[in-house]
Amino acid sequence: MSFFSWAWGWISNGANWRGPGDIPQQILAHLEYSGLALLIAVVVAVPLGVALGHSGRGSAVVTNLANAARAIPTLGLLILLTVLAGFSPLAWLLPLVVLGIPPVLVNAYEGVAGVDPDVKDAARGAGMTTRQQILRVEVPCAMPLILTGLRTSAVFVVATATIAAYVGLGGLGRFIVDGLASSQYGPVAGGALLVVGLAIAVLILFSVLSRVLVPAGLRGSERSE
Amino acid sequence: MITFERVTKRYADGTVAVDALDLEVPAGKTMVLVGPSGCGKTTSLRMINRLVEPTEGRILVDGRDALRQDPVKLRRGIGYVIQQTGLFPHRTIEDNVATVPLLLGARRAAARGRARELLELVGLDPALGRRYPRQLSGGQQQRVGVARALAADPPVLLMDEPFSAVDPVVRASLQDELIRLQTELRKTVVLVTHDVEEAIKVGDQVALYRPHGTLAQVGEPEDLLGAPADDYVRDFVGFDRGIRRLSFFGTGDLDLDTSPVLAGDATVADAVSTGAPWVLVTADGGRPTGWVPRHRLDAAGSATALRDLAADHCEHTFTAGTDSLRAALDAAVLSPAGQAVAVDGAGKTAGVLGYEQIRAAIAARAADGARGKDR
Amino acid sequence: MDWSWIPSNSGQILQLTGENAYLGIVPALIGLVIALPLGIAAARWNWFYPPTLTVLNIIYAIPSLALFIALIPAFGLTDTNVVIALTLYSLCVITPNVVAGLRAVPAAARQAATAMGYGPARRLLTVELPLAVPVIIAGLRVAVVSGISLASIGQLIGVSQLGYLFIDGLQRSFPTEVYVGLVLIIALAIVCDLLLVGVRRILTPWEAR
Repeated sequence: MSFFSWAWGWISNGANWRGPGDIPQQILAHLEYSGLALLIAVVVAVPLGVALGHSGRGSAVVTNLANAARAIPTLGLLILLTVLAGFSPLAWLLPLVVLGIPPVLVNAYEGVAGVDPDVKDAARGAGMTTRQQILRVEVPCAMPLILTGLRTSAVFVVATATIAAYVGLGGLGRFIVDGLASSQYGPVAGGALLVVGLAIAVLILFSVLSRVLVPAGLRGSERSE
Repeated sequence: MITFERVTKRYADGTVAVDALDLEVPAGKTMVLVGPSGCGKTTSLRMINRLVEPTEGRILVDGRDALRQDPVKLRRGIGYVIQQTGLFPHRTIEDNVATVPLLLGARRAAARGRARELLELVGLDPALGRRYPRQLSGGQQQRVGVARALAADPPVLLMDEPFSAVDPVVRASLQDELIRLQTELRKTVVLVTHDVEEAIKVGDQVALYRPHGTLAQVGEPEDLLGAPADDYVRDFVGFDRGIRRLSFFGTGDLDLDTSPVLAGDATVADAVSTGAPWVLVTADGGRPTGWVPRHRLDAAGSATALRDLAADHCEHTFTAGTDSLRAALDAAVLSPAGQAVAVDGAGKTAGVLGYEQIRAAIAARAADGARGKDR
Repeated sequence: MDWSWIPSNSGQILQLTGENAYLGIVPALIGLVIALPLGIAAARWNWFYPPTLTVLNIIYAIPSLALFIALIPAFGLTDTNVVIALTLYSLCVITPNVVAGLRAVPAAARQAATAMGYGPARRLLTVELPLAVPVIIAGLRVAVVSGISLASIGQLIGVSQLGYLFIDGLQRSFPTEVYVGLVLIIALAIVCDLLLVGVRRILTPWEAR
């Protein structure tokens, strides 16, 4: 249990909650970076996944793209961009967006492509325009999977934003990276525990969100990735 | 009215699904497209609301060329029912039924009110309107599918194997329901099925497909049974088509025998004097109660009232004038006396019918060209 | 890009690649061995699955760096630390696929096996698991690919593999090293992924293609 005692010793020290670069500030910064990256990932991946899923084509492209993106080491991309372009929003934002896109893309694609063909047929047969078919039928039916993708993505981004501290970004990773550099295990363990807490809070937030956003008729049919 | 004029559907790989189809669906009638799987019947149906685009030919819906209309508008004016219902799982039953009216710009409250009326029309409790599709049984879902198709009161209804996914008992009741609805609504219905029984039961007209999208025969159901165009049709309608054909022979003017029918207070002596091997005993009001064989009469005292004798059952009767000869034959086969008991609309015994009379009636109707249809 | 750096450091590059392959593949295989019984139990007893899934989702939400750190008191700055952490992640990825694969076995095939006199264990081994192989391998692929790429973060607690090239490249501001690290990690992941696709084709000759 020494990890927890180290972590708790540091977290419960009131001094760490006050002053420049204190815990609340870093939590806010962490959420800000992660939120921005997630937002961009969603804006790119949801429309793309939905459009491809509606067309029913591109299944192999989506799967392979997502697999390839999974193979890219975030730390490597982060460092490469820093070495090439110096520390800039591009250097930390792009790797986090690349990390956040695949789960959202794959789930939006699978969700829409997987809507019962009879339901799609009925929507067309009832005289819905393409836009109406997508927005009124396919997206609501795909909502459980879209939210699962969003959840996975959010957790990935929040978790990985930690290592952006290695190239100088703020956030909870600061405590870990600075602690490792100065061989102080207290802030390292404490920072790690706070990141875990934050990631789990995000997990819970999205679980609650899916209760609210999934249409009542579809509840109980949630799948997880 | 729907008219197919030389309609062909050819896919990119060269497969011909429908080959130069000419077919006319009269307004207000039910046309059933039937045939083996892959014969093009579903493709034909889906070309009417342009879910499939024809390669060649014209399709007229109420005189207007379907191919020259905006497909979205065209579909909103045509009801569409499919096998697995295709109900939207995320919408309540009410909102499912209200789909097309809402697309056409109806106000939500009005559309929901209309939806509840339609649920009632298809035999569902309007209270189900607030539920979601997954909370309903397969048969109920299928009724909702029909209600949804009827919501905007389209003149044309397309039904793609609408009853195939439910069990036979539910299927029979849904078929009856469709026949009942049709007598009320008189829509132009095109229904696809692979089940010849269903085609014969619900169709005013039946179009029987050959494999690869051509027609083998089009006509009234009894034409297919009574005058199959060729061996293919004969095989497809099945080996017992003769028996099924009896469904189209009426029982309106049969020569019923009333001599072995006696009231319960008649005596054994009265019964013996008829000379019949079986006598039918009736209760007050004329309801048949049972058959008594000659040997049981002989064993009883001649002054005994018939109602005091043990009688064999006669639950299987037919209603003269309403039921078909098939029902009469069925009642005869199931009767211990080998005679069918005919009752009138009120359940009063009208007489009995032996095999010989049934045979004569079949012969007479077959000779008439079987125009005694009564449905 | 300094191409000459590559041949002059080929020995070190090769060694780092080997270490990275070890850290990516071994945890996935251990994860598979644990995920099979866990997934079989979860597929068999429905009540067991939701709590298992919740626990796995929570573990999966733990950032890798935080998990490495949490394991330091017990395992120190060693390979074992990274192997254990990555094993936990692969468990989270593979178990749901084992369950999904087993649940997707057609009921008719299962009933036919039972009707022909297969006992539960024999049915599982000779009918259900083989039919679930494609889905299980799909999970294994994700575990191996993300394991190979996640292992690089182990460098932050001093466990060496291709991630070394990132850290060293950053400190020396030498892009070539970072490029080489990135390309090799991605290449390694793709090679392992293709190998697993091959394994699946050999194990399931009845599948299309």
